[in-house]
Amino acid sequence: MSSNKINIVLAGQGNSGKSVFFNFLTGLHQHIGNWAGKTIEKCEGTLFYKEQTIDVTDLPGIYSLTTSSEEEVISREYIIHQKPDCVINVVDSTNLERSLIFTLQLLEFQCPVILALNMFDLSKKKRITIDINKLRHILGIPVVPTVASRGYGITRVIDKVLEMQGERKEYPVQRYGKEIEDAIHKLTLKISGLETPYPGRWIAIKLLEKDPDIVDLIRSKDEAITEEAWKLGEHLEDIHGHDAALVIADERSHLASRIARETVKLSHHQKSTLTDRMDAVATHKVYGYLVMIAILGGMFLTVFGFGNWLSGIFDSLFTGWHASWKENVGESFIAGLGWAGIESVLALIQIALPYILPFYIILYFLENWGYMSRISFLMDHFMHRMGIHGKGCISFIIGFGCNVPGCLSCRIMESKRERFITTVLVTLVPCSAVSVIVFGLVGKYVGLWWAAGLYLLAAVVVFTVGKILSRLMIGEPVELIMPMPDYKAPRLKTILRQTWGALEEFVYIAAPVVIISGVLIQAINLAGWMQAISSFLKPVTVNWLGLPAVTGILLIFGILRKELILVMLAAYLGTTHFAGALTAQQMITLAVVSIFYVPCVATISVLWKEYGWKKALLICIIEILFAILLAGLVSRALNFVF
Amino acid sequence: MVQQGDQFCLTDMKEGQTGVMRSVLGGKMAAKRLADMGLTAGTEIKMIRKALFKGPVQIELCGARLVLGRGLASRIIVDPK
Repeated sequence: MSSNKINIVLAGQGNSGKSVFFNFLTGLHQHIGNWAGKTIEKCEGTLFYKEQTIDVTDLPGIYSLTTSSEEEVISREYIIHQKPDCVINVVDSTNLERSLIFTLQLLEFQCPVILALNMFDLSKKKRITIDINKLRHILGIPVVPTVASRGYGITRVIDKVLEMQGERKEYPVQRYGKEIEDAIHKLTLKISGLETPYPGRWIAIKLLEKDPDIVDLIRSKDEAITEEAWKLGEHLEDIHGHDAALVIADERSHLASRIARETVKLSHHQKSTLTDRMDAVATHKVYGYLVMIAILGGMFLTVFGFGNWLSGIFDSLFTGWHASWKENVGESFIAGLGWAGIESVLALIQIALPYILPFYIILYFLENWGYMSRISFLMDHFMHRMGIHGKGCISFIIGFGCNVPGCLSCRIMESKRERFITTVLVTLVPCSAVSVIVFGLVGKYVGLWWAAGLYLLAAVVVFTVGKILSRLMIGEPVELIMPMPDYKAPRLKTILRQTWGALEEFVYIAAPVVIISGVLIQAINLAGWMQAISSFLKPVTVNWLGLPAVTGILLIFGILRKELILVMLAAYLGTTHFAGALTAQQMITLAVVSIFYVPCVATISVLWKEYGWKKALLICIIEILFAILLAGLVSRALNFVF
Repeated sequence: MVQQGDQFCLTDMKEGQTGVMRSVLGGKMAAKRLADMGLTAGTEIKMIRKALFKGPVQIELCGARLVLGRGLASRIIVDPK
């Protein structure tokens, strides 16, 4: 069986339709698109074709194969170490020149490559003609036009993969300028004696580019080679006046445009496209912001409207369950714990279906449509003041729905510094559970303006923390470099598949932690320690925050799921008329604590997974202290108002 | 920041104006990322729009749209047409 198993990978730049290609090949549900950063996880699928088993791996959408971001390292290491039988390079055929730069880098690996000219229908529409035969001839690899969204050309690509099996031929080499080729040649000769998994020519290029990983690797084997590379690099710099890495990147780019010039014909009378006309409004200096506010506002209203409606239905559906559990299973300690487990599952369902599901559907609609890049464009300047660039705004928007996917989406940020700052800020964004508290408590009993004021406070806090973090964290902020894709009609099937993938990830990450901690807290409760804990917390809750002692317990349960603070308060009071038990001042104080004190367990588990337990713990402790401090100050300031 | 001597940077271009990129000042990493996106010396650039305040700029090169942060754009030297 393993003898005829074929292993292929899909590689390509963002927005090339690569993941759609992958979906069509494998029919597997998975996450696509670069925005939510999902493609950083390895997506694998299997295809059965002409009695062959073909394993397909989807690599992250990337721009180059040099070590400047984690996705790129993943891709390059995968191609080198797994030695796939074939790399299918999916490119945006409307944008061949830029895509070819990546193709040239792939060819440097000296692996079998097939070029899939994707979105071929769009290039026709844009009156771009590509001379496929000539392109095939120049690159020396198979070139197949495809339209992945409709499945056009995909079987031809796989047929090519099958044809290529068994035939062992020389991989085509694209030559750069003379000085560079001389340097590469000298280095390749020296490297040929070394044992490395990488092809010699590729190592030579990376040494000249001063790729830190490769330089370290080679230095550990033969220091003379790295010294030689250093000298050759200096020589190149003397000739060209700038860094050798840049000289090579320039050469590659020029080679790509030369190939594009020879094979692509653009029709001259290009009239303004639909995208240009839509962008005239969507990225306009004034209307652009109005459109953005309208779209995002509409999105949140829809999600909250739908969410409240559906969670109301769930509430009435689940009401009798606890009573019948007690009746049938009993009220023993174990039965109590069992119920806590069930309750956690119900809680997950009640967040996932009413809020996260519609949120993701709209989010992926906007992403597939192409609107998310416009938001990044509009918000870049503002985000820069927090030390991150425009793409971070997308994570904030997701964080409004739920912090868990919000934090996960920070993977789209290029550097570790940016990713960390964005993640911390997202944990401070009020998610839909916090909004339930803000509206259910403050909005309902103190006034809508006060609720709006709390959102403003959250914005100020996020902004200030961002400013502080960007000062504290060393490293230069990364500037926004982002292609602006065309608007595309979103496909329902794609949106649903992405939504399913995101929901799956949410459940996968959140479920274990939520259930375990639900049972644990219930155990503490049943053991009768809650009273002790609430009196232990009294100095903070009663003395500093001016809240009733019971809030200590509420805030502990709130770690599970923040709206539990409100739900349990109602249970404790035996009524949802909170105004009878809490003053306006106390309600606002409680809401402030709820917004900022510690992210919920599901979010903590993401922090843990992404940054390790030390950083996760540090974030939690700092945020708890900060929330208590802030809420105490707010409470004191409110003395002057009420 | 905006005008480097008599050098004309990307941010000095008016919307709709075209020019040819000459070089990038400093920032080796940024210059390399730009080259990977097809923006190198000699590339023809058209300024599409500049965002409000000191926001990013949107340019067009070889038929593709690219958004660049203002700080980076102000370090790209161009020969305007």
